[in-house]
Amino acid sequence: MKKIIHFVSGPAVLFFVWYSVSALHLVEPFFLPGPLVTIKKFFQLLISGNILPDLFATLFRLGLSFLIAVLVGVPLGLMLGFSKKLYRHVEFLIDFFRSLPASALFPLFLILFGAADWSKIAVVAFASTLIVIFHTAYGVLHSSKTRTLATRLMGVNHWQLFCHVTWWETLPHTLVGLRHAVSLSLAVIIVTEMFVGTAVGLGRRIIDFQITYEMPNLYATILLAGLVGYLSNLVFIFLEARAVHWNGRV
Amino acid sequence: MPFPILINNLKKKFGDEEIYRDLTLTLENGAITALVGPNGCGKSTLLKILAGLVQPDSGECRLELREELKFSYIFQNYQETLLPWKTAADNIALPLHLQKYSRAAVNQKIARLAKWLPPSLALHRYPYQLSGGQQQLIAFWRALITDPKLLFIDESFSALDHEQALRLRLALQEYHCEQKATVVIVSHNVDEAVQLAKTIIVLSNRPTVVSQIIDNSLPYPRTPATLVTDEFFALRRQVLNALHKVMSI
Repeated sequence: MKKIIHFVSGPAVLFFVWYSVSALHLVEPFFLPGPLVTIKKFFQLLISGNILPDLFATLFRLGLSFLIAVLVGVPLGLMLGFSKKLYRHVEFLIDFFRSLPASALFPLFLILFGAADWSKIAVVAFASTLIVIFHTAYGVLHSSKTRTLATRLMGVNHWQLFCHVTWWETLPHTLVGLRHAVSLSLAVIIVTEMFVGTAVGLGRRIIDFQITYEMPNLYATILLAGLVGYLSNLVFIFLEARAVHWNGRV
Repeated sequence: MPFPILINNLKKKFGDEEIYRDLTLTLENGAITALVGPNGCGKSTLLKILAGLVQPDSGECRLELREELKFSYIFQNYQETLLPWKTAADNIALPLHLQKYSRAAVNQKIARLAKWLPPSLALHRYPYQLSGGQQQLIAFWRALITDPKLLFIDESFSALDHEQALRLRLALQEYHCEQKATVVIVSHNVDEAVQLAKTIIVLSNRPTVVSQIIDNSLPYPRTPATLVTDEFFALRRQVLNALHKVMSI
């Protein structure tokens, strides 16, 4: 019960403030439609199937770039983590590109990969791969020396040590990296959809609704994009609680 | 066949701090030896050097046949050596899994431990769900499950209550007598050292040398009843006197 109250109280306050501002006409109603209208539009967009191609296009780009980030980032991160020397050599590059806003790279990727979906997917995959590499390598580098040593004394080979210890030591860090990567990926995808030619995508719809001043639709689409981000984050929080149950308890 | 552990003219410095200056001692094969001494005199470091985890600056450390010996080491920070992603049972069985024992063989070995494990110990739980003492039991039995012929124990009964400690000391004695295992324990607990060890080596302050060697010929098993005999008290007094000699108070 307490949990439900905690969960509902924040959105309820937001809803109330939004409703009051809108009902009291504190902001021009044209620019800020009330929450009820917006939510109605949200469901209309979903039920009519009008927004679904855009939703799926965005999810497809998100999924594919995320998959690339996992497939490339995790093995590379593990490799770098195992070789401290190698990590020191590339540490600056990883930190530099990780800190560089991915959207700044987009024109370059546009030239390299063309205007089709690939350039968008590539730029997002690039940015999120760096995050996954960083977190995974960090996990290996900071794995417990005592656990590794104690297991090594049992006469394990490298592969057994990796399977029984290092992989699990790294997993909590890797999952944090994946969670950050998926959030960043969504943000970059929406931005690239907005400003670079694409026929479908939530970003594209947001900018279209803004140009045509379809304000309730604009808010409803923003709500949908927020929901995608929130749910993907939720999946990882759930995964973390299940897959790394010991995290924070040792 | 006696293969003693020989330590000859061992030297080790950590930075400017000199731990050993020509430490020389012999640990008898097939016996329990206790190392006692003041904090920081390098008892744990000695075990680490013998196990090959720390390199001495100079001197000789001969641990005959270490490769062929089945060897286990219970660390002082035992909690950090358990794998929190495995249950208590899987932690105990880990060394066997690593040596590719079959499921059935593993279960059989674990079942053999059952008489020593307190009924309150839930083996399906994860280490972080257990108390410090229970974790220490897990670390202890994980070390013994492979039937090691050489066993290093670093302060490993410290988190147990009196009853559990006594039970474990009995278990260790039984194991030692059955397997003729060489056991080296580092302890701050004089009762524990006297109850378990055949030889008690009292070490001095840094730079550490052997201050006194006390032989203990009380017959095994030394039960809780042994702990209140005159012979036990006499030995205990002897160890305490030796310890007080190396203290600076």
